[in-house]
Amino acid sequence: MMTIDLALHSDIYLTYLAIVGGILGFAGSVLGIMSAIGKDVSSIWKTYRGWLIMIPLVMGTIFLGRTAVIIGVALLAIFGFKEFARATGLYDDWWLTGLVYLGIVALATASFVVDPRLNYPGWYGLFMALPVYVVGAIVLIPIIRNRAKGQLQQVALAIVGFVYFGWMFSHLGFLANSQYAYGYLLYLVLAVEINDIAAFTFGKLFGKHKLRENISPNKTIEGSIGAICVSLIIPWLLWFSFPHFEPWHLVLTGLIVGVGGQLGDLVISFIKRDIGIKDMGAIIEGHGGILDRVDSMIFVVPIFFHVMRWIHGIR
Amino acid sequence: MAEWEYHPPPDIDESMAEHLRNFPRQPYMLMYAIRSIAALLLRGWMRVYHRLRIVGVENLPESGSFILVCNHTSHLDTLCMLCSMPLTKIHRTFPAAAADYFFSSLPRSAVSAILINALPFDRKIKGAESLTVCSQLLGNDGNVLIIFPEGTRTTTGELNRFRSGIGRLVVDTRLPVVPCHLDGGLKAWPKGKLLPRPYRLKLRIGTPVSYQHLDKSSESVQRICHDLQSRVADLGRIDE
Repeated sequence: MMTIDLALHSDIYLTYLAIVGGILGFAGSVLGIMSAIGKDVSSIWKTYRGWLIMIPLVMGTIFLGRTAVIIGVALLAIFGFKEFARATGLYDDWWLTGLVYLGIVALATASFVVDPRLNYPGWYGLFMALPVYVVGAIVLIPIIRNRAKGQLQQVALAIVGFVYFGWMFSHLGFLANSQYAYGYLLYLVLAVEINDIAAFTFGKLFGKHKLRENISPNKTIEGSIGAICVSLIIPWLLWFSFPHFEPWHLVLTGLIVGVGGQLGDLVISFIKRDIGIKDMGAIIEGHGGILDRVDSMIFVVPIFFHVMRWIHGIR
Repeated sequence: MAEWEYHPPPDIDESMAEHLRNFPRQPYMLMYAIRSIAALLLRGWMRVYHRLRIVGVENLPESGSFILVCNHTSHLDTLCMLCSMPLTKIHRTFPAAAADYFFSSLPRSAVSAILINALPFDRKIKGAESLTVCSQLLGNDGNVLIIFPEGTRTTTGELNRFRSGIGRLVVDTRLPVVPCHLDGGLKAWPKGKLLPRPYRLKLRIGTPVSYQHLDKSSESVQRICHDLQSRVADLGRIDE
């Protein structure tokens, strides 16, 4: 179980702290040198400043333990869904929006409480069954209101909002119940972000062929392949996070992050493109909205969760 | 298959600070919830700490947009006026607040926008623009605007000259203006003091007037200002 005390004595947590501290310091000095020799790095500075705020928040939350992680993930899911709801116009419907909020709170509660039959923290059965109840409640709303016009769109948006941005993402909070919580959480956050950065960097350096030009014109096949290669290497370097993994698990993990991360990115891209907006919000300067940042996680986390649960059990 | 229509709000690319500072604000659930709780707490505090009495609530129009004008002795004025409105209307009641004071920093903007639902009024440069915002706001049926025509808090207790803005806003319109007078504000929370002191407050709400019979001229505007000023002053004299 994750606690402050355990974090202080967890080699995994402390190693990750050193790694991200090192990366931040290194990136900061590179940027410093680049601006000193007269290169224009102002836009990268903005992004970097965003990281300087987000990384301590993430590391601090994981440091505080299981409860903090579950609450933190629920808040991210709520505010992420809110961005989706505002962008699509679903937010005008306060009943449906409020219901999805409640559903996300219920997910966090299911992640938090003790399973009444198995007697260990995290009620897996309820967590997995919740979409049934929440979707059931969402489709009830038009009936209660006795209104049909435009309701299919509203209900469909609410269901996508809950299942994709709420339920799939909330698996991250449930992972806090694992005995390998530090390794899984920290690996996922770090690897997914590295995968994002790798796709961007390889695309900038070698990008020629468009990946999906109608969805996200800046993504290239070269960037994508580069990112998958990097993501396949990362688990070997971070093997200490999950010492129980066999080599083929590492390959599988790398593939999930490498492929899933980019798919998550493309999902948000087509949603934004269909709506006709550039970013989902502007809450983090230099990064856009919450969904622009966690988009890759949404896809990766539940797949990682269930594959690893199938192989090792989640506890 | 027919295409879906999406309606992303106009403020989607704005940061938190811009959300709070810009007007009209988009409705937010969390903001409404916090404001409702704050309004309840405020009512309790005013009743207990200041023993606020409100006379003439029945004069408030029950429907449609209207303007409340009041003398301005302290920040308590706004709070008392908000307490006189029914709780269901507080999200559509907008005190016009000086942008250079109430929206000068992020924490101030947050308090002004979320708790008070203030309308940022530029009293220095873009006064005319702010007036346009006000009249657009009042054009939507059911909105209430709170204005202090003196423009700033009085330090002496004397009613200062009413600025022309209120006149320009209501001349040749059907908008009801409700004159109000708050007694005790100066003693309870004088300008420059950090916290209010537990003095008694009394808010008197007068009968609504409208100025649709006047044409749009500077004389009419002056007449309206004089008229409203004397009405507010009269309300203050009732108790003496």
